[in-house]
Amino acid sequence: MSSREAILGRVRTALGRKVSPVDTAHIDAHIAAHPVGLQPPRDWEPELRFRARAEALASTVEKVSSLHAVPGAVARYLVVNKLPTGGVCWPSLRCLDWIGAGLGMEDRPARGDDLVGVTGCFCAVAETGTLMLLSGADTPAAASLLPETHISIVDTARIVPFMEDAWALARAERGRPPRSVNFISGPSRTADIEQTVTMGAHGPYRVHIILVG
Amino acid sequence: MDVRSNEFKARAAANLGDAKLQKGLGLIKVKAVVNRASAVAEFGDFETLREAGKQIRNRALADLDLYLERFEREATARGAVVHWAENAAEACRIVVDIARQNGAKTVAKSKSMVSEEVGLNDALIEAGIEPIETDLGEYILQINDAEPPSHIVMPVIHKTAEDVADLFHEKHGTPRKTDPAALTREAREILRPKFLSADMGVSGANFLIAETGSTLIVTNEGNGRLCTTLPRLHVAITGIEKVVPTLEDVSTLLRLLPRSATGQAITNYVSLHTGPKHIDESDGPQQFHIVLVDNGRSKLLAGEMREMLRCIRCGACMNHCPVYQAVGGHAWGWVYPGPMGNILTPSYVGLEHAVQLPNAATLCNQCGVVCPVKIPLPDLMRKLREEQMARGLKPWPERLGLALWGWAAQRPALYALGTRIAARVMKWLGGGEKLIHRLPLAAGWTDGRDFPAPAGKTFRELYREKRK
Amino acid sequence: MRVALFVTCLADLMRPGVAFAALRLLEHGGCTVEVPQTQTCCGQPAYNSGDRATAIALARKVLDEFDGFDYVVAPSGSCGGMVRAHYPELFRDDPALLARIEALAARTYELTDFLVNVLRLDSVPGNFSGTVTYHDSCSGLRELNVKAQPRTLLGKLPGVKLAEMNEAETCCGFGGTFSLKFGEVSTQLADNKCGNACATGADAIVGGDLGCLLNIEGRLRRRGDLKTQVLHIAEVLAGRSD
Repeated sequence: MSSREAILGRVRTALGRKVSPVDTAHIDAHIAAHPVGLQPPRDWEPELRFRARAEALASTVEKVSSLHAVPGAVARYLVVNKLPTGGVCWPSLRCLDWIGAGLGMEDRPARGDDLVGVTGCFCAVAETGTLMLLSGADTPAAASLLPETHISIVDTARIVPFMEDAWALARAERGRPPRSVNFISGPSRTADIEQTVTMGAHGPYRVHIILVG
Repeated sequence: MDVRSNEFKARAAANLGDAKLQKGLGLIKVKAVVNRASAVAEFGDFETLREAGKQIRNRALADLDLYLERFEREATARGAVVHWAENAAEACRIVVDIARQNGAKTVAKSKSMVSEEVGLNDALIEAGIEPIETDLGEYILQINDAEPPSHIVMPVIHKTAEDVADLFHEKHGTPRKTDPAALTREAREILRPKFLSADMGVSGANFLIAETGSTLIVTNEGNGRLCTTLPRLHVAITGIEKVVPTLEDVSTLLRLLPRSATGQAITNYVSLHTGPKHIDESDGPQQFHIVLVDNGRSKLLAGEMREMLRCIRCGACMNHCPVYQAVGGHAWGWVYPGPMGNILTPSYVGLEHAVQLPNAATLCNQCGVVCPVKIPLPDLMRKLREEQMARGLKPWPERLGLALWGWAAQRPALYALGTRIAARVMKWLGGGEKLIHRLPLAAGWTDGRDFPAPAGKTFRELYREKRK
Repeated sequence: MRVALFVTCLADLMRPGVAFAALRLLEHGGCTVEVPQTQTCCGQPAYNSGDRATAIALARKVLDEFDGFDYVVAPSGSCGGMVRAHYPELFRDDPALLARIEALAARTYELTDFLVNVLRLDSVPGNFSGTVTYHDSCSGLRELNVKAQPRTLLGKLPGVKLAEMNEAETCCGFGGTFSLKFGEVSTQLADNKCGNACATGADAIVGGDLGCLLNIEGRLRRRGDLKTQVLHIAEVLAGRSD
């Protein structure tokens, strides 16, 4: 008997299964229905809530009116914070005028020594001020992870109230999840030493969010 | 990890006198406890959320076989390889084999308590494979001669910044620094190349989602993402009880877990992994292996400890336990400390190897009140005490004392006589001070406390006298 | 209103004054109080030690002794909690007795809870004067929701000033046999409780459970504090004259 059979056998015995194979209709139904559980009251407007929560979690947030304005905003952010003006960006963002803004953004896989990564996001969750990124050929996961500075572009029309709304959107637009779905709520941090929160652990030291809308 | 749970009493006593440890532990009340309370208050109706969490976990356990099979089917359809491990040895063998078959010599590890439980690091080392802990707390422990963690969420809660400063200075050969931010930066710089060059990444999984065949991890540091994105192999290892039906279910649990663990509304990163990378993706592992570990869980499902399987490993119980706050996690002598350890350790390693643990509690239920999935922890500890009794594992003086007490308490006339004698004897022992300084058979009390002497007559006799 | 007084084994042996005080309070509230003479113990020590058989035997005895009253009142959250929260579980496999046990449980109250929520006392006969701080015993607090009731009653004594201690709800470390088996940890927790209580400058530490109070007083005296009183809430509310 394989370990799989032994384990499942013990589980079935523990659950008092009498019939084999077991009818899975009830679990299929629950999964298909995927009911939403308890959510906190929604007494806020999503964009305002998203911004407030993101800032509370130590991201910086600004807003521009269109995608064209993004490279300029990125350039200003990097210069003001004395950060390098070059880095990597998602292939999906290669068409923006980085050069025109004086930036050297390369749409290639991030390397360990890249200092700036510019990404978009699939959507953003207002409840917790969280970015949702889906991995893909044009949206590699490492761009938001390896560089010390992560800049994320968020279309305000893609700010949803709750994580459950984000799942629903992903199901509707993509069907199955890709290799990585990452929810990001600010710069990396740890509180392992004396329970003191320290910003900047293994992931980015800073997250700058540019709302477009 | 060696099981040292039958040393609890001795270790606890020693830890009480460890001034440095006490300083570290003292932070629990002002940080972990306060942070959780703030997060709970900010959420609002946390009690209803706890009930929702309990229902979700119960639903999964009630059909655990079906949800596991569904999980396996979905995960496999997305290209993951699902392995089943009956016990610790098998879990290690599976992971070592994956490494060997793929020529993996270095493993970047994100935190996994199940990997501690099965002793994975030792198995890898024995097979000539180098495991590198990347979670800051676990890394600190690893370079300190593989010291065990003392908490399931904050592994070095027992250490001060000074301790870490000394350790980094010694092991890294760098100038000594005490600022946590600087220490964290140093760890980042040392570990970054390891992430980039590791052959294999090993993570745990906070949850397994049946609907999509995905694993999910909650982290703050980014090391979890690095371990599961950069190396060409990713192995996720976790217990079979972690399965949850849907993505929506996991969203509910994600409102409970970070708040209960660290007082966060959400951890900095929540990462859902489904299958290996697509052929056109530039990052992600080529292979994704998921190791489902039993190691005693299926046995728990059948018995009185079943509710313990709801546990989502938040650590709130130990943060709020006055005993844990006083003595720290190492006293528990194995992977799982605090109230959850009082139940899981005897359940997984055998009650005879951890017989003190279910008794190492006052049953105050502060743990039960904060458990996000409403596990009745004191009730489960009491059940283990019943098992201890039934299996004759109680020391005979205690059995005798209990038997005498119980026998007498059912015989009112005898009881009345016995208590009248006891009241007078104790009054006499208390003398003029009305305090007993030493009581035979009660050194556990009188070593540290006086015993207030009784009035000398029982209520029963006084009541009789008054009513005459 | 026919009320049966559940004396508690600790009050019987160690501090009869507590039971007399409870009796006085109940009579002050207009109850006819009887004290079943053969009562000994609720069975909690056996139950918490894993001796289910003895716990069941004692519960049956309690049922026989306390059946037929309108209410059963105990000056103890432990004993009250044992009957209300745990007796039904002891008889989960005994449908014949379960109904009677559940009825008993529903009629059983911790003293302060009874005085406030059933008798709705307007006044109490005691005349205690001074600052007190209140220790919330775990069973009373977490099994029976005893929290506001003792404070409401203390508020009816004009001479009493209440000073809340830090960590009032944290376990004092008694835990029954825990206090003997893990004496070092128990002593540390008692010490923490004493430190918190004394920091309020209170004249008296007050609580609803004798187990806790003996533990707290024991540590207090060993620390050298012979001054601070350690009193049961019944003693404070009823006055101590017998």
